[in-house]
Amino acid sequence: MTAVVLDGIVLGLQFGLLGVGLTLVYGLGGVLNLAHGQLAVVAAIAAALALGAGVPAGVAALGGVLMAGLVGLILDASLMRSVYRQPTEGRVLLGLLLTLGVSFVIAGFLVWQFPIEALSLNIGGGAVELLGVRMRRGSLLASAIALVAGGALLAFFRLSTLGRAVRSVIQDEEGAKLVGINPASIRTFIFVLSAILAGLVAITRSMTSPVPVTAGIDLTILALVVTVVGGLGSVPGAFVAGILLGIVNTVSSFYIGQYITSIVLLAAAALTIVLRPSGLLGQRP
Amino acid sequence: MRAILATGALLSLVPLWLGDSRFLMGLAIGGLVFAAYAVAFNVIFGETKQLFLCVGALAGVGGYLSANFADRAGWPLPASVVAAALIATGLGGLFSWVAVRRSLDVIFTGIVTLAFSLSYANLLLGQRTFTGGENGLAVASGSETAIRGHASAYYLFLAVLLTYLAVYRLLQRSHVGWAFRSLRDDEQAAELAGVNVSRYRIQAGLIGSAMLGLAGALLAHHEGFITPSTYAFGHVDVRVLVMLAFGGIGTLLGPVLGAAVFTITDELLVGVGQLREVAYGLLVIVLFLFFRRGAIPALTSRLRRLRA
Amino acid sequence: MLEVNGLSTGYLGKDVVHDVSLGVGTGEAVAIIGSNGAGKTTLFRAVCGLLGISAGSIRFDKAEITSQAAHRIARQGLAYVPAERRLFPFMSVRENLALGCYPAAVDPARLEFVLGVFPPLGQRLSQRAATLSGGEQQMLAVGRALMARPRLLMLDEPTTGLSPKLAHAAYRALDALKQEGLTLLIAEQQVPLALSVADRGYVLEDGRVQLEGPAEDLAKSPAVRRAYLGVA
Repeated sequence: MTAVVLDGIVLGLQFGLLGVGLTLVYGLGGVLNLAHGQLAVVAAIAAALALGAGVPAGVAALGGVLMAGLVGLILDASLMRSVYRQPTEGRVLLGLLLTLGVSFVIAGFLVWQFPIEALSLNIGGGAVELLGVRMRRGSLLASAIALVAGGALLAFFRLSTLGRAVRSVIQDEEGAKLVGINPASIRTFIFVLSAILAGLVAITRSMTSPVPVTAGIDLTILALVVTVVGGLGSVPGAFVAGILLGIVNTVSSFYIGQYITSIVLLAAAALTIVLRPSGLLGQRP
Repeated sequence: MRAILATGALLSLVPLWLGDSRFLMGLAIGGLVFAAYAVAFNVIFGETKQLFLCVGALAGVGGYLSANFADRAGWPLPASVVAAALIATGLGGLFSWVAVRRSLDVIFTGIVTLAFSLSYANLLLGQRTFTGGENGLAVASGSETAIRGHASAYYLFLAVLLTYLAVYRLLQRSHVGWAFRSLRDDEQAAELAGVNVSRYRIQAGLIGSAMLGLAGALLAHHEGFITPSTYAFGHVDVRVLVMLAFGGIGTLLGPVLGAAVFTITDELLVGVGQLREVAYGLLVIVLFLFFRRGAIPALTSRLRRLRA
Repeated sequence: MLEVNGLSTGYLGKDVVHDVSLGVGTGEAVAIIGSNGAGKTTLFRAVCGLLGISAGSIRFDKAEITSQAAHRIARQGLAYVPAERRLFPFMSVRENLALGCYPAAVDPARLEFVLGVFPPLGQRLSQRAATLSGGEQQMLAVGRALMARPRLLMLDEPTTGLSPKLAHAAYRALDALKQEGLTLLIAEQQVPLALSVADRGYVLEDGRVQLEGPAEDLAKSPAVRRAYLGVA
């Protein structure tokens, strides 16, 4: 049982990282980016291609993540601006539909161009013992990266001027403008950051299991569930929800089955919406 | 009503034109089915702004349940179809009711229905005994009847589509419809004017879902073989969105026009494989970015303005 | 320092402010007085970039700022404190003040200064802005605006929700700031308070400037006295 739970935490940390990106973009602009998972796949495929060309793993991983960020930047500059210009009511719907379209474009293109690509980062070395359970180095490295990233994010938002500026736009956009903060720039920054985080998750996931070119939809759904359960717009919420759901995922997969597990996770999201729309730690209902 | 009759008359000529080509008739029937889906989605989304991202799933509920009722439980075909459609109706109504009771806005309805879509897809894959998993399910019931034919099935589905259009028109024209239209523009004003926004949302959810369940069930008995991809989100919902965004959200014949155009386009794009997905994605982006209510309505109003 | 010429602005295509011209000289305190709905807030929002303009121009220190975005205008030294304050509710007093210096990091000397003007804030530095009292929130809003060393401070009805005692305290603080050389533009319904600090004033009614002049003249004007001071 311990092994299952530990595996769940490892998975959950990455779930959390995946959800954080999505929740940030929503918190800042009310846009639910249904192409989030596809951005992760962009990183995976870019890294896989680089690896295939002989580039060292670390550089390939970095390149993949940056590629995801680049695609995010292009998306923001081209489409997101139009979405943010809409008044709140129309914005949510337009954001959902446009990002849905984008996810199909990216998925379609990648699957067409690289139908059998998948990213697998092999972290060598034997297993390590943790709490009496043998863990693969890949799992531990993935968790370490996720923890460091999470910590860095929290520090960023709490302590840095830019991080504070991001929070201010979420809390009162007009007030932010009055102190000289440009909400549009902040939104671009966060969108690119979320793309980078998505790419990072693809990299860490590939350390324990391959990330195929078709993984986009599953990753988006995961991010969606984590975000909803944690509370739309809450960064700590995404982490907490991520870890919880990671454990639920591994426990359920182990004792019940794969298909039911997916349904369980989706039901968790649906139940959260129905019973407590603000999620675990959401500030706004 | 005249427009519906005219459309019906026009469409009923299609089998004569297509002749005996089994393939082309299959396409035409597929087009009718998608038109029916689109009209149903128009009721739910076009009229009352409920983002039901579970069009395929609700149709799938109709399809798989009816197949099981008929083949496994041995119920007569009409009873199976109706029962399956009723369950789909109940589900859709439930989504509307929950959204209304909890005052959920569009994003949450979208997420819940999307979650349902995906859960249903997983359910279909997992419950092999009832669904055949990813290998699909053969539907025996209906195999000796008119529903399995070509021309006969075509006219059956045409009748169903025309009925849906008539229901839509009746909704639009009734005091319920007036409420629907005022909902589109300003919910708060509608509330103040005494329009019961909640009740109409639920009614729309029920009616639209009934349409979807029925169409899905009939499709199952017609095709004789269904798989999860018959009703998958990527196959059904995306196309319906594009059809409606093109033909005109909230218009009577928009869904039919959109279905006609994209059934043909879809077939033309078959050779391109995965790029077809890219094409649909781009269409969704372009259509929703540039046209608020649909491409055709925007173009016709521009034409009208040019003429004036 | 601020020149507004023939400004017309409003909402949803309909002008609420018509052809308003006014000026604020460096080191001056100018009051805009008028009753509710006169257009004071609309005027201020247009000047600081939160609202679009249908006609007219605005110059800040000789620079055209007419259609600039609010955040750019703020960075040029024009600080606006709206009536609703627009604080960051889940951030502490310290964080709210720190953001006043954006994009720079907090200037400790400036923080000292602002806390000197509003001592109660110093005792609540870690408290969340949403939990402050009305008067404290007003102090925080003005304090945050001051953190950026603005050249012009615009305040929209700074006494909203304040008890008479606090309102007087607020204006004493504004007077002190003015003595130190800060240029002020204040929209105010409470005429006596406004005119106590102002050098000049404009009376805005129905979106137009009805009257203007030195503060003492306005205070003595029979029209003003009748309309706003309730004196027959």
